[in-house]
Parts: sequence; structure tokens; C-alpha cells
Amino acid sequence: MKDRERGETRPVRGASRREFLKTAAVGVGALAGVPGAARAFDLEAFFQKHLRELSNQDIEGVLRRLEDKYSRQYGKPVRVAATGPLDGVVYGYGLDIGRCIGCRRCVYACVEENNQSRDPEIHWIRVLEFEREQAIRSIDLEKGNPYYDHEKVPAEGMFYLPVQCQQCDDSPCTNVCPTGATWMDPDGIVVIDYDWCIGCRYCMASCPYGARHFNWSEPRIPTDELNPDTHLLGNRPRPKGVVEKCTFCIQRVRQGRYPACVEACPVGARKFGNLLDPSSEIRYLLAKKRTFVLKAELATRPKFFYFYG
Amino acid sequence: METLSIFGHFVMGSARVVTHGTRGFYLWIAFLAALIATGALAYSNQLTHGLITTNMRDQLSWGFYIGNFAFLVGVAAAAVVVVMPAYVYEWKPLKDVVLLAELMALAAMVMCILFVVVDVGRPERLWHLLPGIGNPNFPYSLLVWDILVLNGYFVINLFIVTYLLFKTYAGQEYNSSFIMPVIFLSIPLAISIHTVTAFLFMGLKARPFWHTAILAPRFLASAFCSGPALLLLTFQVLRRVGRIAISNEALYKLGELLAYAMAVNLFFLGMEVFTEFYAPTAHVIHADFQWFGVHGQRETGIATYTWLAFAANVGALLVFMIPLLRRRLPLLSAACVLAAAGVFIEKGMGLLLPGMTPDMLGEVYRYHPSLNEVLVGVGVWGVGALAFTLMAKVAMAIDRGELRYQHSEARPIGPGSWRR
Amino acid sequence: MDGMAGGGGEGGPARGRPGDAAHASDALGGAARPGHQLATWVALGAALVGVLLLASVRSAHGPQTHPDYPSRNLPPEPQALLLPPSPADDEYFPCSDCHEGEPTNRTVRELEDDHEDLEIAHGEIWCLDCHAAEQRDLLHLANEATVEFADSWRLCTQCHGSKLADWRAGVHGKRTGHWWGPKQYQTCVSCHDPHSPRFQPLEPEPPPRRPEAITQAAQARQETAREGP
Repeated sequence: MKDRERGETRPVRGASRREFLKTAAVGVGALAGVPGAARAFDLEAFFQKHLRELSNQDIEGVLRRLEDKYSRQYGKPVRVAATGPLDGVVYGYGLDIGRCIGCRRCVYACVEENNQSRDPEIHWIRVLEFEREQAIRSIDLEKGNPYYDHEKVPAEGMFYLPVQCQQCDDSPCTNVCPTGATWMDPDGIVVIDYDWCIGCRYCMASCPYGARHFNWSEPRIPTDELNPDTHLLGNRPRPKGVVEKCTFCIQRVRQGRYPACVEACPVGARKFGNLLDPSSEIRYLLAKKRTFVLKAELATRPKFFYFYG
Repeated sequence: METLSIFGHFVMGSARVVTHGTRGFYLWIAFLAALIATGALAYSNQLTHGLITTNMRDQLSWGFYIGNFAFLVGVAAAAVVVVMPAYVYEWKPLKDVVLLAELMALAAMVMCILFVVVDVGRPERLWHLLPGIGNPNFPYSLLVWDILVLNGYFVINLFIVTYLLFKTYAGQEYNSSFIMPVIFLSIPLAISIHTVTAFLFMGLKARPFWHTAILAPRFLASAFCSGPALLLLTFQVLRRVGRIAISNEALYKLGELLAYAMAVNLFFLGMEVFTEFYAPTAHVIHADFQWFGVHGQRETGIATYTWLAFAANVGALLVFMIPLLRRRLPLLSAACVLAAAGVFIEKGMGLLLPGMTPDMLGEVYRYHPSLNEVLVGVGVWGVGALAFTLMAKVAMAIDRGELRYQHSEARPIGPGSWRR
Repeated sequence: MDGMAGGGGEGGPARGRPGDAAHASDALGGAARPGHQLATWVALGAALVGVLLLASVRSAHGPQTHPDYPSRNLPPEPQALLLPPSPADDEYFPCSDCHEGEPTNRTVRELEDDHEDLEIAHGEIWCLDCHAAEQRDLLHLANEATVEFADSWRLCTQCHGSKLADWRAGVHGKRTGHWWGPKQYQTCVSCHDPHSPRFQPLEPEPPPRRPEAITQAAQARQETAREGP
């Protein structure tokens, strides 16, 4: 920057360009999460190509740039990884609809784990409350109420259905995305490249489950609540104007851990595992329990199975 | 080389034409500039704070902007209603006005593109759509197809009007064996732009209100109502301020075509209404919302507008159909206003809102565009109106014979070559 | 261009007269060729766009990933670890403190002298169906065999047999840790009070914000920003 001010030209390439941009970013980087704050226009970010066209080295560069940016923005070290999928794994999810009590512990565990914006509020999981009597013929999603606010749950005569991204095998969202910013990784997780998404929201129009959410403005996460262990395609802080959704806690499951919602559920209604492993929990319940998927007639082939435990 | 030099004069001449005019012209331009400035300010606000300045939310993620987009693609496609009789059937009264119709299509296209730009969350990333440097999801994503056909239609139309205007300006006869194939190509392309735009909605199996085969025919039918209606109104303004000859016969003929278009439009509406209400499924809730408001709620939502639009369309049809009424210009003009308004409601918010209300998990979010949204929209319409004004001014100057290439070999000053 | 105009010979650009229209293409000799040139460029441009589009065609429905993702395999999975139950209530344990040497009253009744605060809501059973009468620090199965408190799950699964298989497989009850890796699960009494096993309702976390409220919050924030710090 100083060179520019003195009118000297300086060859900017490779590392020195990165240096230059870093210096430029320092001055404004301290403004964390304030909307409308002027930020140095990140040229590297602007020209970044689609993830699939980046070499491993390029991806490393992207990760370091993001780590830098977030660490400055939140005033604490943030790690961004791009862990790839495990071989021979396709994730499946089971939700015991007989056990869910609608306590929403999963919703907020997800919010914390995945760095969702607190204001404007984004929840990747939505718990719908249904009247048992209304639902005797079928679960009519039109009759669900996500805004219940009882003193205690489960409320009398009600049952609960949490909904999140179903990670469809034949997902409409990956089909309609005009820039290919969302796709299904080999381990079955439908991911979004937040640096490639143009925010057209066509995927949101196409999702039958309302599982995709948009950053209508700059997301705000309190620094002390930020989860610093992030994944490039998962829970790293998102910019405004892009779409996000549940990724089965990609940053956890690719390390073999349960998603945060599975661990948070106090009644053990959430099950998770490898659909390709016959001895997994998810395969057990698919074999032994009555399972169903939402909006099966739409043939999206979700990997999120509801069952009666 | 000579062509290029003449073209240079053409550009300079056009620049001169658009910067000089009557006081009324300057006032009009000032008014449009004010609209555009307001829109620009509102858009800047949106760029700063994000799309939260609109009233769109997760529960209704497409609204005012895309509604306008759908309506305007129809207006752009509707130029074909004039092009077909003019060039395929060589119907003289419409041949007079065909170039102006194509100019309106161009202006509508500009607005379409702008409405998409203001709707996306990251406009600086729109280059991601371009083949080669970006990663367009071809052939799966309908949005990519839409961009292809829209830009193709825009380029072809721009080429046609530039060619015809330039040829007349230069006093040269146009090469019909060259331009006619291009014009004929623009006809299926016009149909395709609106079909692909309809596919955008039809291809969403998640949205039962849109997931219907008749959506594309409905789009085309309503486009053929709104486009010519707007043309009819515009022509009356133009022949007065532009002092060009547009016969009443052309207007009446357009009105007659509008009768067919509106009849088909209402017929298709009847098809939808029957299918929804005769044997309702749970999905009827979207049509319920459109016509009656959501049951159990006091507010009617958009139901009032739906009925108003229906009444407007029926009223317009009556005027278009009955020659005694149609051949009274004030009445015809009023009918055009009704038709355009009716289609705007039916295809703008009347398409978007019921499609997205209730949302995928049954929630009813009562949406109406925010002030910022409307101002941005007004700004975009201002840009389109300005583009049309400037293009039409040049076209009319050429038509009147006032803008011509001055060459030592004097050319006979005649009317626009597209009239022949 | 000049050469072509010269080649036209008949005086450059054709004169436009209505009657000439039929022969316009003939008279246009010179002017027609730039038109064909243009058409060629347009066709080439369209072909280029077409090729680029075809090159960007990818299978949208198959899973896709980065071509350079290194292959990662799963290590062998360790066994799931059953966590011990929380220690028994200090107030009562060890039971033998009071019940040592006491004669056993096997009459099924509601307790009045002590343990009256215990809510028993567990079907038809009563204390001595689970607690070993002669050794109060132990529990007993239906076949009289005694069981440590830590293995209390063996009692539950006598009646709740279907739950046993589900619990062992991990489908009943909460599991924490890794779906592939060290994981923990818990005994029945960690979640279910054995005397009144039905879950008590919990206070739910707050409901999500309505979309209208998000607008109001944004507006409020903008006003605050405008007013200044």
C-alpha cells in the first residue's frame, strides 16, 4: 500500500501479492461482523475459480486466506480445513419420530457448531409441531407449526418432526444451480462452495423441504460463540448473499464424529452412520424399523429417514 | 471501410438526435433520470446491507424482482405478435410499426437482465455463469438456458434493428436474403425465451403451483396480451411526439390480435381453475391463497388483486372482441391498460406469491415488496423506458427521413426501409 | 472493403427504390459480401459458445468431488463403550445401612415410614420385584439371581426385551462420540428414573424468529446505525 501511495510501481505476483493484500486488509479487518463496513476488495477472492478447478495447492492458498480473514475478523485463531470424503462411506441419518419431544436442543447445538448467523437468525433445523388428531391420515406439512412456545414439551396431544437438509440422492437443488456451486460429494453430503454461489436462490425455490437458507445480510456471530474448527464447505463463517444449509456437520463426520445434533438430543432420537456398512446403526434401523421419508412422491431419494423406534 | 465510416456517422447522428428535442422530451428524460437515480440509490442501499432491504425471506425467496422479470420476458417475446404478420404475411399496417415493436422488445430485455442482476445476492460473481471462465451447469440448469436464449434473442434483435436502421440511414436497400432469415430466426427464439422462462418455474417439482405443463402456454398467451397492449399505448404516444405515420388500422389490427390472445389467456386460466378446484388435492392451498386468501385468516392476501386482474382481463377481452368497441380508440386504449395491468398482476406477483405461499413446510409468510424493493424496480423500469425512448427517437428520426447519411450522391429521402 | 466496393463497379452502394427491392440482392453485389463475412463471424462465435458449453457439461446427478481429493480410508472401529451409571443417591445408598438385619415385610403396599417421597410409576411392580430383599445393596432378576446396581440394565431388559437389541445396536438411547471411532452409550437408568421411567417434559429452547421479526430487527439496527454511536 505504501508503495502505491509513493507512486512506485511494484511487481505484484504470487506471495508478494498476497502480502500486499494482507497489508491492505489489516486496516479494515478489525471490523468484525458490522454490516456495511467498508472492506478492502479482495482481488484473490474475486478471481477464485470453482473449487473443482483449483489444484490442491490453490486450495491450500484459499484455506490460508480464509483463516487469515476470519482470525482477524473474530480476533481469535480460526482453522479452515478442506477434509475430503472417506472412502466407502455414504452417510445416512435416522430420526426417531416416536421419541422427539420438540425441545429444540438440536437446533441450537447446530447453530453453535456451525456458526450460523444469530442476527439475522438462521436455523438449519426446523422442528414442526403437529396435533396427533390432525395427523391420523398422514402428516400434512401444511399443518405443522414451528413457532410453538410451550412451557414444557412434549405438549399434550402433539408430536414433533424436525426437518433439515435431507441430502437427497437425486436432489433438485444440485440440478438447478446455474453455476454448479452446489453438488453432492461422494460421501453423500450435498455441499455448497460459498465462494462460488452467486445468490440467485434458485436452489431455494427447488428444495421441497425448505432446507436451504439465505444470508439476507452480513451474518453476525458473537466472537465468544464462534466455533473455530471449520470446514471450507461446512461451518466456516459465510459471507452475505450466499445460500447455506445443513451439511451433516461435515467438519465432524469426516473425522468420524457424530454430528452436533445427534450428540445434543437428550432422548437419543437421532441416529447417524454409514449406509454402506451393514453393521452400522443406520443400517440396523433401516432393516428393523418402519421408516419413511418426507415427500416420497417427489422422488428426491433423501438420505434422511424418519422411523418409529 | 466505407461501411464502417458510414456507421460512425450513424452513431454520431444518433447521438445528436437523442440529445436534442422539445421541452417535453427534456422533461421526460429528466423524469426518467430521476427515477433511475432513485433506483440507483435504493440499489446501493441493497448492496450495502444485503437483500434484507427487500421483504424476501427464506419462506418466500423470490418476489417482486422475479415477478417483474417474468412479466417483462413476456413483453419481449410479444414482439413476435407484430413480427409474424409483418414479415411472414407482409401485412402492411403492421409492417409500419414492426421496428418499434422490436425496440420495445429490446428495452424489455434490458429490464429483464437488470431485474436478475438486482435480485442476486452476489452480483459481482455473475461471471461464474459464463462458459469458459465460469462453470455454467449446462445442460441441467434452466437458468443457464434462460441466459443463453435471452442473450441470443437480445443480440439477434439488436442486430436486426441496427441493420434495418442503418440501411435506411445510409440510403441503402436492405438485403432481404440476408436479413429475412435472421428475422425468421427471431420468431422461434421469441417463443423460446418465454418457454424457457416458464420452464424455470415448471421444472420445480417442489412447487406444485408451478409444476404444471400449462404454465408455458399460459405464459405465452398472457405475453401476447401484455406486449401488444403496451405497444398499442406506446404507438399512440409515439406518433404524436415522433410525428411518424402509424395508421389506426395498425392499432385496430393489434386490438383484434389481442382479442385472440386474451381469449386464449382466459381459456388457459379456466383450465387451471378447473384442475385446481374440481378435484382438489392438498396442493389446492396455493390456488386457495391466490383466489380466496388462506382459510381461517382474516386477511385476504392477494385475493383482491387476483379478482381485480380477472375482471380487468375479461373487460379488456370484451372491448377487443367487439368491433364497435374496439374501433373506438379511447376505449381500446383503456382496454389495453386493463389488459397490461391484469397480466402484470397475474404473471408478476400473482405467479410468484401463490407459488411460494405456503412455503415448503406449510408456513404462510405475508409478503409485499418493501419500499426499497419497489424503488429499485422503479429504477429498472426507468432504465428500460430511457433505453426505449432513445432508441425510438433515433428510429423515428430515421423514419421521418430527418436522420440520413449526407453523401455527395443524394439519396431519395424515403420512409424507413422496414415499412417496405 | 475498398477492393470489394470497387469490384461492385456500378457506383458503390445500391440505390434504394421500392421497385428495386426484387433485384436488391443482385444490385448489392459488393455490399452482400460484408454481410456474409459477418454471418460467418457470428456462426463461429456461436460455435465457440456451443463448444465451451459442451465442455462444461458434467454429470449433475452422480456424486462429484475434487479430482485431487486424496483417498482416505477408515481405521478399524473400536468397540462402543458403555458408560457406568451415575453413582447412586448418597441419601439412600448403601441400602444396607438401614436395612441390615431388618425383617423383610413382603406385603405389597405403599410405603409410609420411609421412601414415601419416591414416586413409583412403573406399571404393576413394586420395590422387591427389583430390589433383593435379603441383600439390599443388590438387585435381583426374575430367577432370583442377584445383580449389581451398575448392571441394572439387566433387570430392565427382562421386560423390555425389544429395547435390549435396539440399545445394543445403538438405535435406542443416546450415543455420543464418533459414528466411527470411540463412542459411548449409557445404561437405562442414566436417562430413565427406574422408579418413574417416563421422561418428564423439558423446557424447550426458544422458537425461531418469524420472518417479519427479522425485518423489524434489521430496520431497528439501521436506525441505530443512522443515529450514530
